[in-house]
This record gives sequence, C-alpha cells and structure tokens, in this order.
Amino acid sequence: MTDRRETWLFLLPGLALLVVGFIFPIARMLVLSVQGPDGHTVDQFARFFQDTFYPSILWRTVYLSALITAICAAIGFPLAYIMARSGPRVRLWLVIMVILPLMTSVVVRTFGWMVLLSRSGLIASTLRDFGLVGRSFQLMHTETAIVLGMVQVLLPFMVLSLLGVIIRLDPRLEEAARTMGCSFLQTMRRVVLPLAAPGLLAGSILVFTLSASSFVTPALLGGPRIEVLAGSIYKNVTQTLDWNFAAAQAVILFAGIALLLIPYLRLGRRAHG
Amino acid sequence: MVRAVPGWLRIAAFVFVLLAAIFMLAPLVVVMGVSVSESQFVAFPPQGFTFRWYENALGSPAYLGAFWLSLNLAVLVTVSASLLGGAAAIGLSRGRRSGGAVETFFLSPLVLPSIIFAIGLLMLWSAVFGATSFYALWLAHTVVAIPYVIRTTLAVLAERDPFLEEAARTMGATRLKRLWFVTLPQCRPGLLAGAFFAFNISFDEAVLSLFLRNPNLTTLPVQIYGQLEFSPDPTVAAVSTLMILITVALMLILERMLGLTRFASG
Repeated sequence: MTDRRETWLFLLPGLALLVVGFIFPIARMLVLSVQGPDGHTVDQFARFFQDTFYPSILWRTVYLSALITAICAAIGFPLAYIMARSGPRVRLWLVIMVILPLMTSVVVRTFGWMVLLSRSGLIASTLRDFGLVGRSFQLMHTETAIVLGMVQVLLPFMVLSLLGVIIRLDPRLEEAARTMGCSFLQTMRRVVLPLAAPGLLAGSILVFTLSASSFVTPALLGGPRIEVLAGSIYKNVTQTLDWNFAAAQAVILFAGIALLLIPYLRLGRRAHG
Repeated sequence: MVRAVPGWLRIAAFVFVLLAAIFMLAPLVVVMGVSVSESQFVAFPPQGFTFRWYENALGSPAYLGAFWLSLNLAVLVTVSASLLGGAAAIGLSRGRRSGGAVETFFLSPLVLPSIIFAIGLLMLWSAVFGATSFYALWLAHTVVAIPYVIRTTLAVLAERDPFLEEAARTMGATRLKRLWFVTLPQCRPGLLAGAFFAFNISFDEAVLSLFLRNPNLTTLPVQIYGQLEFSPDPTVAAVSTLMILITVALMLILERMLGLTRFASG
C-alpha cells in the first residue's frame, strides 16, 4: 500500500458521510425548489416575489442581520483587543465569559432574554421606575428584542475571529507608532484596525450568515408578527407543509449566503497561496 | 516602552469589560434565578428559594425522555464524529499543504448555516425512508460535529514533530504500529477537545433537531423550545439550568485537561 493510498483511506469514511449527509440533502433541496406538478418550474420563486409580503420578510432579514453584524463588530473589536493585550489570568476569565454563553444552547439563552425583556421584566420595569418610558412600553415582540438577543448569541463568533488575528500582532508595532508620536487612539485606527481587518471580515461574514439563517431567537423574541426568512422556512416546513415553497426560500437564502462567501473564500485562498 | 495607555482609557476599558460581562452572562444568571424562585410565574429577581421546580422537572416523563434521547444521541455523535473526524484530520495533515480543497470541503458544514441542510436532509430522508428516526438525527449531528474534531486535531498535529513518525518508519515500525504508538498519541489532546465539543454541540443543538423532530423524537432543546413557545414556567427554567450546569462542567474539564485559551483563538 502506498502512502498516498493510505492517506485516502483515512479521508474516505468522512468524505463518504459528508457526501451522503450533507451534499445529497443540499442537492435534494435545490431539486425540490424547481419541481412542480408537471416538470420543472420557477413558480415557487415567482410566488415569493409576486407581492410585497415575502420581499418585506427578506428585506427585514437583511437589515436586521446587517445591524446585528455592525453592533457585534463595534463591541467585539475593543473586547478582542483587551483580551489579546491582557495577562494570561485575565484573558482566561474573558475567554470563559465569551465561551460559556457560546457553548450554552441557544434555546436556553433566548429564554433568559424572554425573562429580561418581558413586560414585567427587569429592563422594562427599571425604565418605568425611572420614568423614562410610559406604561404601555413593550420590549418583547419588537425588532429591538431580536437585535439584543442575537447580538448576545453571535458576539462570541466575532470576538473569537478577531482574537485569533489580534493575538498574533506584534505589540512592538504599536510601540513604534507611539514613539513616532501617535496617540493611543490613532495607533488603534492606523495600525491595529488595518492589521486586524482579515479577522473583522471573517467575523462579520460569519455573524451575518448565522444571523440571516437563525429562527429560534427571532421566533421567540420577535413573536409571530415579526417574521424573518429562516422563520418563514421553518413555518412552511412544519406548519403549512408546503415543502416546495420552503425549498425555494431556502435556495434564496443559500444564494444570498453564497454571494457573500464565494468572493471571501477566493480572497482567502489567494492570501494563503 | 512608551506610556502605554492613558489612565482614563484604562478605566473606560474596565467599565466596558464589566458591561460586556453583564450583557453576556445576564441571560444565564436570570434563568438560574427563575429556577429557584418560589413564585409559580416566571419572575426575576427571584422571590424566596425552593428546589420544587427541580423535583417537578425530574418527575416529568416528557423532560426525562427528552434528556435520555439527547444523552444517547450526544454520546453516539461523540464516538462517530471523533472516529471519522480524527481519521480525516490525520489524512489531511499528511497532504502536501493546508487549506486545500479537501480541507475546505470537510469544514464546509461549519460555514454553511445548518438550516439549509436541515431542510434538505428532512426532504431526502422522507423521500428515501419515510418518517424521520433516531438515525437521521445521528447523521445530522455527526455532520455538524465533524468539522470541530477536525479543527482541534489539525491544530494539534500542526505543532507535532513530523520526524517522529519518520524515525519510527526507519526503525522498521509497521503502519499500524506507527499509527498506534506515534500518530494517535500525538493527536490525543486535539481529539479529546474535539470530542468534548462534539458532545456539547449535539446535546445543545436545536435547529436540526427541530426540523427532524417527530412526536417520538424530541430532544431536550426541542422540548424546551416547545415549552417556551407555549408558555415559559419555572420548571423549564430548572431544566435549562441543568443544561447550563452540564456546559459549565464540560468547560471545566476542558480547561483542566487542555487549557481553553489554546482552542479559543485557533
């Protein structure tokens, strides 16, 4: 047996499982989305775009995901920088603070937000006590609730992608910038931020795709009236049992994500090779 | 070194980290608080202290059944993902360069949101086998867990001494002996970490389990989701707290055995 053949022997079982359990299902979804009672059809896609209902769901999905990504980047960058430049003990605690929520089920975390955001919950009652909001103030079942919950769910992905890059930066670069007369904030803007850009880009793409495709948190915090694309897919699969239409919506989501990912993957490969 | 960071910025950084910690951990603390509150409505801050809701949860056949299903599933997924992912990582580490097409393919379930392949798997399974079964969940969870095992194992293999295997070969060790005495011990920390992640992912996974669920196939996260959709109560908070505690235990073991920071910034 040659070494080459042995290498393939190691790879083959995993490859076979991925083809059967990952590639075939995606292919099946693509096929079902264009299947009609008599042959191929694009009726399901036409139905999606024929009135304003589904396009408005798509639009809400896109702008909520963009907002969530921007907030995650704004919080994640300073947090990752502080983590990278602190001592090992502090860093361990900060890593725990980020990873413990990440490793906890998304259902459980969303439950926590449901309690916090409810009408009698901590946030609403505190705001009412200070007289900042009226009696009818409501956070649950608003887009604000979705954004709050999703940022907490997805922030770890942003922080970890940034941390991986910032921790490898040579701190002497920052010292050099400071000796040359840059202020701390100028150093951040002119030296650290450009060098951390790959991590920021990777984290942003990850957060955007995950946010565009999640339905557990939006469904529980946004309620039935504020629908997002992934929630609409889930509803069509489990409640209305309209699988062809669900497949078409999944293809639209898939296409949007592929549009984001493919240029990024090609960029990454060029940087590697 | 130059005067590193201005004082006001240090204070600002401290306050910022504190707020971030509250933001990240508050949802978990709140769930734990609700689970020991005497009030029969979901309320925070808790009123009084009781373990009644835990007794309730542990006496509920629905939660117990879901727990056993999730535990069985997570253990089997850990085994299958570690075997297949570990083998794939060894194979990949022998390839000429990292970041090749095969590696990208193996890691693709990490990048592609699981909802897309969840819907496809449900449709494919229904067309071929009919109703979803335990095996469908096992397959689905193994697919999403494999990339984690591959990543942690590859990270460890990248730092190993490649000449060790070469030396074993020159000394006349057979393929099997080299694998057992050289490569596998080199993989061990990465494989272990990957196994913990695989267990955690399967035990907490909600998206695939929601798509593939049927009345006889309800995992613990799906059971909790159903209760939250219907009406949250302190019993579901007790179950959720137990899930948080399992995660904390897994993290402690991982930190003790291997160190968390090592795999956190990979």
